[in-house]
Amino acid sequence: MRFELSDDQRLLRDSARDFLAAEFPLEETQRVVEHDPRGFDPAAWARLGEMGYLGLTLPAEVGGQQLGAVELAIVLEEMGRACVPGPYLDVALAAALLAAAGGRERLLAEIASGKAIVTIARQDAAFAGEAPCGIETANGKLRGRKYFVPFAAEAQALLVTTPGGVYRTDAPFAVTPLPTLDPTQRFARVDFDHVAERMAAADVVAGLEPLAAAAAAAMLLGVMSRAFEITLDYVKTRQAFGRPIGSFQALQHRLADALLRVESTRSAVYRAAWCLDNADPDAALAAASAKAYAGDAARLVCGESIQMHGGIGFTWELGLHFFLKRAKTLESHYGSTEVQLERALAAAGL
Amino acid sequence: MDLHLSERHLRFRDELRAWLEKNVVRPWREELRDPTASEDSLIELRRAWQKKLHAGGYLGLDWPKEWGGRGATAVEKSIFEAELVRADAPPILNFLGLSLLGPALIHHGSEEQRRRFIPPMLSADEIWCQGFSEPGAGSDLASLKTAARLEGDEFVVNGQKVWTTYGPWADWIFVLARTDAKNRYGGISFILVELRTPGVTVRPLRQITGESEFGEVFFEDARVPRANLVGQIGEGWKIAMTVLAYERGATALAYSTRYSRDLAALAHACREVGRTGPAVREKLARLVVENEVMRANGVRMLANLADGKIPGPEASMEKLFWSEFDKRFRDTAIDLLGPGGLLLRSCSEARPEVDWAREFLWSRAETIFSGSSEVQRNILAKRALSLPQEG
Ligand SMILES: Cc1cc2nc3c(=O)[nH]c(=O)nc-3n(C[C@H](O)[C@H](O)[C@H](O)COP(=O)(O)OP(=O)(O)OC[C@H]3O[C@@H](n4cnc5c(N)ncnc54)[C@H](O)[C@@H]3O)c2cc1C
Repeated sequence: MRFELSDDQRLLRDSARDFLAAEFPLEETQRVVEHDPRGFDPAAWARLGEMGYLGLTLPAEVGGQQLGAVELAIVLEEMGRACVPGPYLDVALAAALLAAAGGRERLLAEIASGKAIVTIARQDAAFAGEAPCGIETANGKLRGRKYFVPFAAEAQALLVTTPGGVYRTDAPFAVTPLPTLDPTQRFARVDFDHVAERMAAADVVAGLEPLAAAAAAAMLLGVMSRAFEITLDYVKTRQAFGRPIGSFQALQHRLADALLRVESTRSAVYRAAWCLDNADPDAALAAASAKAYAGDAARLVCGESIQMHGGIGFTWELGLHFFLKRAKTLESHYGSTEVQLERALAAAGL
Repeated sequence: MDLHLSERHLRFRDELRAWLEKNVVRPWREELRDPTASEDSLIELRRAWQKKLHAGGYLGLDWPKEWGGRGATAVEKSIFEAELVRADAPPILNFLGLSLLGPALIHHGSEEQRRRFIPPMLSADEIWCQGFSEPGAGSDLASLKTAARLEGDEFVVNGQKVWTTYGPWADWIFVLARTDAKNRYGGISFILVELRTPGVTVRPLRQITGESEFGEVFFEDARVPRANLVGQIGEGWKIAMTVLAYERGATALAYSTRYSRDLAALAHACREVGRTGPAVREKLARLVVENEVMRANGVRMLANLADGKIPGPEASMEKLFWSEFDKRFRDTAIDLLGPGGLLLRSCSEARPEVDWAREFLWSRAETIFSGSSEVQRNILAKRALSLPQEG
């Protein structure tokens, strides 16, 4: 039994951390999100493909690395730490859906190499979670509207979920941007009137929910870990009343609680990923729990990090806000907390 | 990463499970609800249970074989604890002796002390209690004042211990006593005292549950043979701290097993009384989620132990998590059950599956004993986060 990463996994983590730190420093993210309407840099995206991160879990035949959920969690954690702008998580989930549906080697190969961006269009309304699906399908055509489609303007294809199955549609799309408080993640409303190919039954999407939950939780883990580390450094140097603010017990105890949340999220995320890789019967419960817990923990830890920085924490310049914002985005998508709570109850047989 | 139990550990678990199935004749919760049960009868039942465990070779698991142990590791011990919970076995009577004093004697005691004290400790014929806390020394344990003065071959002990669990019916107490008033840590010694010794008085204290599981112990010129000193004079603090560190197994695993069962009982009770609305379900679900996260912490701790890692500040995280979670859990349970959740076990209307009222009250102790939550956070701030210390 061993919780620690294997040598290969550690290598993957270290190289991802180094690569992402060099490629996506916060200053660069600040620049890209303000000056590039796409919200990410396609050249940097292509380099993610070269590094093999875009085909991490895909089969070798399509240029993938055939790795598992644990490795995906490792890279997602690093993506969260660096608060990388762009659709990394969305594309990983769309690729998993395509792979689960079978076939479609060409599109998968394009995803793995970074040539194609494909995401999933699933949200049926801007607000309500369970609005009736507004998509109609007939005679190979798909019509209707989806909300919060990730990076739809850049996508070559979208996988559209309906109660009757998942459909693939190809660009161009009629896109209306839905700018949110998180500029590192772009969403749009898409009005479909497309030729569409039914590629999988609806239960294929349902079957991927635990992976989506664990994956989003892994990214949340990275987001909160980095915000926590930045804060820990800051409280050791910032002086007030003639001493470092980190010597005040009021802050120490909250930092201890934050550490507990970060480390507990780490246990939950990697256990869930491991359960998924090993078809463990606890996988669904572990994944839903990890996501529900990570959402709360990240909001709390990222919030504390701004609070403990004082005024400078509230500046755009410092960049801490990106972590809080990403935490909120990840919390509300990929199965929001209430959804995960229901899933956890169901998986626990309660 | 590999979270599978090894073949050896699986075999251990399966054998133990089968053994428990045969030997736990009635779940502990049913023993507690037996109208003929008294405090004394339950103690005797636990004594008999401990003897059974001992005969089965399941006590002192991680002790060397020559001292009645099995030479196993902290991994087997953690599995053992989780399986006891799963089987709803009675709690081990000589818990404080086995978990704290046993290791102290094995690592720091003399050959004679081990021969004299370990066998009756294992067989539950001598029950031990832990005399560390004093009226003026709890979290700040090193400020303890109970004094032991050496006179010839004897210590003369004066002072008072308090919150002594099992004190009211134990036979022996292991005491941290001051042998040098001027040396804060190096002036503390570890001494074994028979509670029957003239000059030693035990007074039960009533707890918020109404029970008197702990008490206070007074020492007035109590004479104790020098041979009852563990280690050297002035080594008491060091011994106590290392012994407390041995205690660290994957306790979260045992707790999550127990809370899963209690959560299922709670969900069942809520359905039975017709509380199934979304507010109720959300509260239940949050408990399920936190419990799963605690289980993941436990699995991680177990895997680290199996991997040969010695837990450091993780032990503080584990204690902080389960004790604070249990408070929330028990509080929410009563909230969900409504006024019926407040009923005492003795009341025929009380729910049979869990003594919710007592669990709620007991949970208030958990964030105080074995290092309060505040003390655990101080430890984390200092050891895990290296935060600058005050002054
Ligand atoms: C049910 C139960 C069983 C027990 N069994 C035993 C036993 O068998 N043997 C034994 O020796 N003891 C036992 N204890 C005693 C227990 O170890 C002490 O109660 C504990 O160490 C706290 O000490 P105290 O009661 O003196 O509280 P104090 O130390 O006075 O603490 C009071 C409050 O102040 C807080 N506090 C103290 N110091 C700090 C600080 N530096 N920073 C922030 N907050 C602080 C504490 O967290 C607590 O909330 C038991 C206690 C209970 C409740």
